[in-house]
Amino acid sequence: MSREFQVLGGRAPRVDARDKVTGRALYAADLKRPGMLFGALVHSPLAHARIVRVNADRALRLPGVKAVLLGKDVPQVRFGVSPARYDETVLAQDKVRYAGDEVAAVAAVDAETALAAAALVEVEYEELEAVLDAPAAMAPGAPKLHDMYPGNICAEVHQEFGDVARARGQAEVIRQDTFTSKMQSGAFLEPQCALAEFDHAGRLTLWSATQTPHYVQRTLAMVLGLPEHRVRVVKPYVGGGFGPKASASSMEIATCLLARATGRPVKTVFSREQVFLHGRARHQFRHEMETGIRRDGTLVFLEHRAVLDGGAFASFGIATVYYSGSLLGGPYRLPNMKYDGWRVVTNKPACGAQRGHGAVHARALFEQQLDLLAEEIGMDPIELRLKNVMQAGDVTCNDLNMSSLGMRECIEAVRADCGWDEKRLERRPAGRGIGMACGFFVSGAGYPIYRSRTPHCTVRVRVDENGGGVHVLSGAAEIGQGSDTMLATITAEALGIPLDLVTVFSGDTDLALDLGAYSSRTTLMTGHAAKEAAESVLRQILEALARAAGEPAEDFSFVRGLLHLRGAPYLNEAIRAEFQKEHRGFGGLPAEGPLTFREVSRFAFLERGLIIGTGQYRPPPLGGGFKGAAVGTSPAYGCSAQVAEVAVDLETGQVKVLRITGAHDCGQAVNRTQVEGQMHGSMSMGHGEALYEQVLFDARGRIQNPNLSDYKIPTALDSPELKALIVESHEPNGPFGAKEVGEGGIMPTIPAILNAIRDATGVVIDELPATPERVLAGIRKLGRPR
Amino acid sequence: MRLPMFEFAEAESAAEACRMLAGAGPEAALLAGGTDLLVRMKRGLLCPQRVVSIRRLRAGRPAVARDGARLTIDPLATMTEIAADPLLREACANVAAGARAVGSPLIRNLATLGGNLASARPCADTAPPLLTWDASVRLESTGGERSVPLHDFFTGPGASALRLDELLVAVEIELPAGSSGSAFFKLGQRAALEIAIASAAARITLDRPGGIVLEARIALGSVAPVPLRARAAESLLAGREPREELLAAAAAAAAREARPIDDLRASAAYRREMVAVLVRRALAAALASAGGGQ
Repeated sequence: MSREFQVLGGRAPRVDARDKVTGRALYAADLKRPGMLFGALVHSPLAHARIVRVNADRALRLPGVKAVLLGKDVPQVRFGVSPARYDETVLAQDKVRYAGDEVAAVAAVDAETALAAAALVEVEYEELEAVLDAPAAMAPGAPKLHDMYPGNICAEVHQEFGDVARARGQAEVIRQDTFTSKMQSGAFLEPQCALAEFDHAGRLTLWSATQTPHYVQRTLAMVLGLPEHRVRVVKPYVGGGFGPKASASSMEIATCLLARATGRPVKTVFSREQVFLHGRARHQFRHEMETGIRRDGTLVFLEHRAVLDGGAFASFGIATVYYSGSLLGGPYRLPNMKYDGWRVVTNKPACGAQRGHGAVHARALFEQQLDLLAEEIGMDPIELRLKNVMQAGDVTCNDLNMSSLGMRECIEAVRADCGWDEKRLERRPAGRGIGMACGFFVSGAGYPIYRSRTPHCTVRVRVDENGGGVHVLSGAAEIGQGSDTMLATITAEALGIPLDLVTVFSGDTDLALDLGAYSSRTTLMTGHAAKEAAESVLRQILEALARAAGEPAEDFSFVRGLLHLRGAPYLNEAIRAEFQKEHRGFGGLPAEGPLTFREVSRFAFLERGLIIGTGQYRPPPLGGGFKGAAVGTSPAYGCSAQVAEVAVDLETGQVKVLRITGAHDCGQAVNRTQVEGQMHGSMSMGHGEALYEQVLFDARGRIQNPNLSDYKIPTALDSPELKALIVESHEPNGPFGAKEVGEGGIMPTIPAILNAIRDATGVVIDELPATPERVLAGIRKLGRPR
Repeated sequence: MRLPMFEFAEAESAAEACRMLAGAGPEAALLAGGTDLLVRMKRGLLCPQRVVSIRRLRAGRPAVARDGARLTIDPLATMTEIAADPLLREACANVAAGARAVGSPLIRNLATLGGNLASARPCADTAPPLLTWDASVRLESTGGERSVPLHDFFTGPGASALRLDELLVAVEIELPAGSSGSAFFKLGQRAALEIAIASAAARITLDRPGGIVLEARIALGSVAPVPLRARAAESLLAGREPREELLAAAAAAAAREARPIDDLRASAAYRREMVAVLVRRALAAALASAGGGQ
């Protein structure tokens, strides 16, 4: 590294740690407003039906009920995620499209009454034939969900880079494989919750458990017909999101409409079942891949087809189906890649973005194929990957620019740390296996969800007029990932002051613009804006000082909050004396040694008045000119390698993941403990997806396991030993060289585990999750002795 | 979600609890640990008008008392207590293991043995182990007391011999003579907070360490409408020298006796296959702790 950091790269506790550990942190469901009502939704019990008649009379007669909204009572404005696919209304209009679709909304004096009233809303349906999986949706003559999606195709992608037909002739070993996954839930701790209130001037405030206050603000403004500045969205602390909370929901909008209808604040809290019904988590994918290599291990081509079962609405689906293809462009040199993807609608809860958006299961198959190909040519899987690995400065065949890429370093780090070379050679007990995989991910989507040249974020850093501290005002969404601590750290580093002089205010559309917590964008983008704002503040302070001191501003700096001139501690008696005079009666004033940030920032205020630094970030134009080139582009890419070690019970098929060793290139680490935390989170989540997680449906499209007892995620007892190795590169487009660690870490986890299962058993897992029953069926198929 | 409204009563003695239950019929529900009842009430599956708490009946008694060969287990003992009880760990280790397999530490700190049995789920983790010890349950009502062998207690999923006016006041085990060992294995997708895909408990009593099988018991969970004794498998073992092939044959017989169904946790075929694996492992472990085998 080129410079010594004062705060950056350390292990300071999170700025929100104490509040969270003591239970003082407030989440949306904790909030109360005077006169607050409670909202509830009426959900369709049927997967596909025409609404014949709705009658709210009985619900309205229930004492305590203040409002019932039906489809006819709400704005007909369509909304969604991608403007080209706005396909949702707040409440179902003519028909319901999945078991769970919202038909009516109720507000009452307490939650129990609201629920009781919801149960009293009478809806008469005429059931329609439902399509419950992608093949059924794509079959000729299939019932149509939306007029706007002929053949139930919501989006399709057809891309070719290089010349796959010609490359096929050059390949010496070709494999064709398929892979299927299941619809998932984000399984975050905090169910969605929204609290809406209009003030006397008619300005709306919505407190919501969201990842994206800005997109929610825009959607509310659009649907409610309000100018954006009349809508404020505040994100209190959020208990995880992982993607499903990255868009506006009909629950949020209905809560606002109930507040408008009743003139009182209204709060709606999802039950866990509603979390499942609302969905918006990982799609169900089916991938087919043909991959060709030369006998020396050189990758030649990939031909890839994917079908995504997206549920009833588009949500993030267009981006998902593009990401599924584009994020196979690296981290290996792959000159020829063809991708055909279809995202279809079905009568199930809508799917959207989830950690590793669209790319996780494509990666899971591709990395398994690499292992199988390596085996066919008698090469170690790590050697095959090293043979093809990209390096900083490389550009993928689909125009993704790897401005920094410690991929080789990550591979070497896990190889050494887990003892790969020895473990692959040694004879292991029956059922023990070891596998590895790699992956990469964006550090922020290159373009906003709506077409605009808007900055992706703005940040103000304001110097406390009394001196001593700075306030960072940002719209970034702290959802547990640590963005508040990141902003405090970058600001402190840029100013040269200790972390405790920085207070972060964030997650409020009144404070600043920020696209939100998705696509692993916040450190690179909002971090950039914070650094710019802090540097502006520093410049203003030092300029004021320079005039008084008669020294050039650029010769001054702060080191841990103490003023230095050309590297030596610096004291100005006059400034100190003035500060002392202003603070007669105060204790603990700076008395000896160099001037402190407290004194200098106060002096600068007295000299110049209010000191505010502003910063913003907009990525440079990125990507190629082909259709869909925008999806997958990013100012930077993080990358990961992981090794999983497993023990498979050959008689029951149970898989125990013993250890995952992961290395991630996050550029310059902002806070090492948090980087490791994100890596642990990714590995745990990937572990869950590999072995346990699936939303199960009955024959009528109803979820069979809408709770965390039957939707399985790993418990502490199931969790492997996790080793997180931080690999640092310097990302030229990142603040202080930093880039993502939020999502990239999940890329290798599933294939590393599946490759380890194959190493242990010979079984190629072509369907997730790898339940004991499925693994055992694979073992049986290979004809292993009972 | 809050609980629905109900009337709450707390019994100071078993007799008082029985009086509170008498004549109340399905309007009353007993509250011990509450890990099943309160969850079902919150979900609206149960709406008792009256909840009778029997938590005070425990009142400092030890979880398990031993009188000669007789063990008396307090049904209000929590799963945590059962799992840690030195008498059970010594004499009936599979009962402690069954309790240890329930839910999570938070649940085990509240859930009681009586609740696990009285809810009569085919997957109840303590039922198969207790069945292997020919345990019986004492049931009390205002009309008196009766003892029911556990293998007659379970009558269907969620159904048992316990009448609405009865209270489960003791679980009793008569320890057999000879050298006994036991084991319990539970198969789930994950290691905790899991309803068994299948489970198997075994108890083997040898005439002497290294000797022949005097008596064997095998009981299965989650593979029939009730926790199930595998009697045909048991009879293969009685009076025989416990060789590996014999244990495997008994395990195969147990698999044939199972009556599993397909559900969202596993297929019937997989469950049946797993019964053979789990029973073989349970028999081998039971035999080892009975001082048999090599």
